[in-house]
Amino acid sequence: MRHLQFARSNTFRWAFMVAGVFAAFILVLFGFIYWQIDGYLIARSDRVITAQLDGIAGLSPERRLEATEERLRQDPRGVQVAAIFAADGRRMIGNVEQLPAELRIDGPAQGADIVRIDRGDKERQTIRAIAQRMTNGDVLLLGRKVDEATEISHVVGQALALGLLPGFLLCLLAGAWLSVRAQRRVEEVNQRVRRIIAGDLSERLPHRAVDEPFSKLAVIVNGMLDEMETMIHALAGVGNDIAHDLRTPLTRARLALERGRTNAHSLEQLQAVVDKAIAGIDQSLTIITALLRLAEIENSRRSAAFDDVALQDMLREVGDIYEPIAENKNIALHVEAPHPLSVRGDRDLLIEAVANLVDNAIKFTPEGGTVDIGLRRSGDGTVVSVNDSGPGISEQEREAVLRRFYRSDKIRNTPGVGLGLSLVAAIVKLHGFRLTIQPGPACRVEIACPDRRD
Amino acid sequence: MALNMVSVRDVPGIPNPGIVRNLAAVEKHMTRVLLIEDDGETAEEIRAELTDRGFDVDWSANGIEGLDKARSTQPDAIIVDRLLPGMDGLTVIETLRKEQVRTPVLVLSALGAVDDRVRGLRMGGDDYLTKPFAIVELVARMEALLRRPAESRETTLKVGALELDLIERTGRRGDRGIELLPREFRLLEYMMRRPDQLLTRAMLLEEVWHYKFVPATNLVDVHMGRLRHKVDGPDEAPMIHNVRGAGFILRAVP
Repeated sequence: MRHLQFARSNTFRWAFMVAGVFAAFILVLFGFIYWQIDGYLIARSDRVITAQLDGIAGLSPERRLEATEERLRQDPRGVQVAAIFAADGRRMIGNVEQLPAELRIDGPAQGADIVRIDRGDKERQTIRAIAQRMTNGDVLLLGRKVDEATEISHVVGQALALGLLPGFLLCLLAGAWLSVRAQRRVEEVNQRVRRIIAGDLSERLPHRAVDEPFSKLAVIVNGMLDEMETMIHALAGVGNDIAHDLRTPLTRARLALERGRTNAHSLEQLQAVVDKAIAGIDQSLTIITALLRLAEIENSRRSAAFDDVALQDMLREVGDIYEPIAENKNIALHVEAPHPLSVRGDRDLLIEAVANLVDNAIKFTPEGGTVDIGLRRSGDGTVVSVNDSGPGISEQEREAVLRRFYRSDKIRNTPGVGLGLSLVAAIVKLHGFRLTIQPGPACRVEIACPDRRD
Repeated sequence: MALNMVSVRDVPGIPNPGIVRNLAAVEKHMTRVLLIEDDGETAEEIRAELTDRGFDVDWSANGIEGLDKARSTQPDAIIVDRLLPGMDGLTVIETLRKEQVRTPVLVLSALGAVDDRVRGLRMGGDDYLTKPFAIVELVARMEALLRRPAESRETTLKVGALELDLIERTGRRGDRGIELLPREFRLLEYMMRRPDQLLTRAMLLEEVWHYKFVPATNLVDVHMGRLRHKVDGPDEAPMIHNVRGAGFILRAVP
């Protein structure tokens, strides 16, 4: 059953249809050729007999009889028909028994059934014939058997048998072959895809020559699979991180509530427990909010609402807001923005990005250190930089810090959600700017805003 | 810090069932709030809290009924959920505003999108609160909506012994002059325009610093600590109070 599957396949059905249409077309073509040639032959023999009739009609009655006889004598193939009938219908000469009833006298050449008397057993024949009444009342009949048409139809039939049937079969065979081949590939792809669905993300589709469409498709799909594999792995990591970061405060809240329920003896103790639980839940909520916000920025199409943002004022404002925080930690915070530069963007989001960077810088810089916010021109762009004298980011950690929830081991114990830099990265990307983090001690983070070209 | 830490219950800015501060006002007109919220449990919590604080709360679970009530009962304030059965919360607001109803509206929403927030406000909502929210935050914002500071032409703000000169941009408490940095001046001005009113951290971030997000660091506390240090001298009774888990309040020394 299985090996006949190709007969039900789409490809085969198409091949069958194409073969059918092909056969029909050939039939019509041959038919047309036959019809045309037949018509041509009849027309030619009609012309011939009409001309001969005219020739004989111009002779004297005696010469007519001679010419008729002569004509029949010079016909080895026996295709010629000629006769002269007297006015009363009596045959005077010729190889036709009698004047066919359907033949119009003095009309144009036409088909007619006659009985030949020169053949044995009075053969009936269908011929092209023309008849004309002479001046003395005799009727001259000339005719010609057009048997070439039959011969041609034989030839055409043979050609059909030789060409059409093999052609048709060839079409079917090609269709079956293509169908089996396609089916095999589809089956192969199907099996691999099943494996991918089952969870084997490293599986890829087979491909041979790159120029072939099927292989081209496979290469494209494989590219997509590569991308998805990377993404899914990254997501799995993020999922674990999220679960961890959400669970920690929730576990704390749960423990506090559980212990408080049995151990708290006074209202004050119970309130303290509840406060602790609320703090835990709040922390979880903060994480969720930050995640949603990140997703929102990443999916946002806010560029329509972009406006000119005066960076100098913006950075001074951020510096002003964070100055007391830095001061509390005995960190010197400077804003170095000597020129009134501006970029096109969303002010709220840009403030958020810079504030996050400054927040981070202050958080990770030890007491007595410095944090510098800078604004300068560089090449064909404007650069916002936040430098600090903290431990910095190592080369290996550089990519990782942009990942959601990443917190380097050194700073695991510093409070914070760990979403700050990914948020900054998302905002920077939304604006079409570039975020660079210089590795090594003393962290340098830069947002390069290329000038717009319009 | 611990010295002037108070509990929400004792905050005079928030009406408390035990202490009726403005008897005349209450007798004349109890503040009526229309709550349009489809989640029964949330609604019950809000209603209980607001009732405890002396509000007269009318609850409606769907948009169409809510709109009818808003028209017929003319409440002093409306709290409306963003997504409602029957009629969307924003449509309710839009309809009311078209009918020239100027009642202050606080929009609640589980949708935290910034664009969504902007839309909520553009439709005529006066403030916007994202779910989940602390109940104190809701009450504080309700209070703020009901007691919007009038646009005064005064050049000096006064709360008790505290004075702020808006032209000279200087402050003084009694005879003692207070040197203020511009950012401290801004914060104090905002607070002095809303005395006896609970100001949450989120409100301060939004209105004083125009922050549309909550930063990781406790920015507000640090700034408030600075300001308090200047406003409340070592041997003076505190005027700036930290309301545990909620925010800050400025009140005149009794």
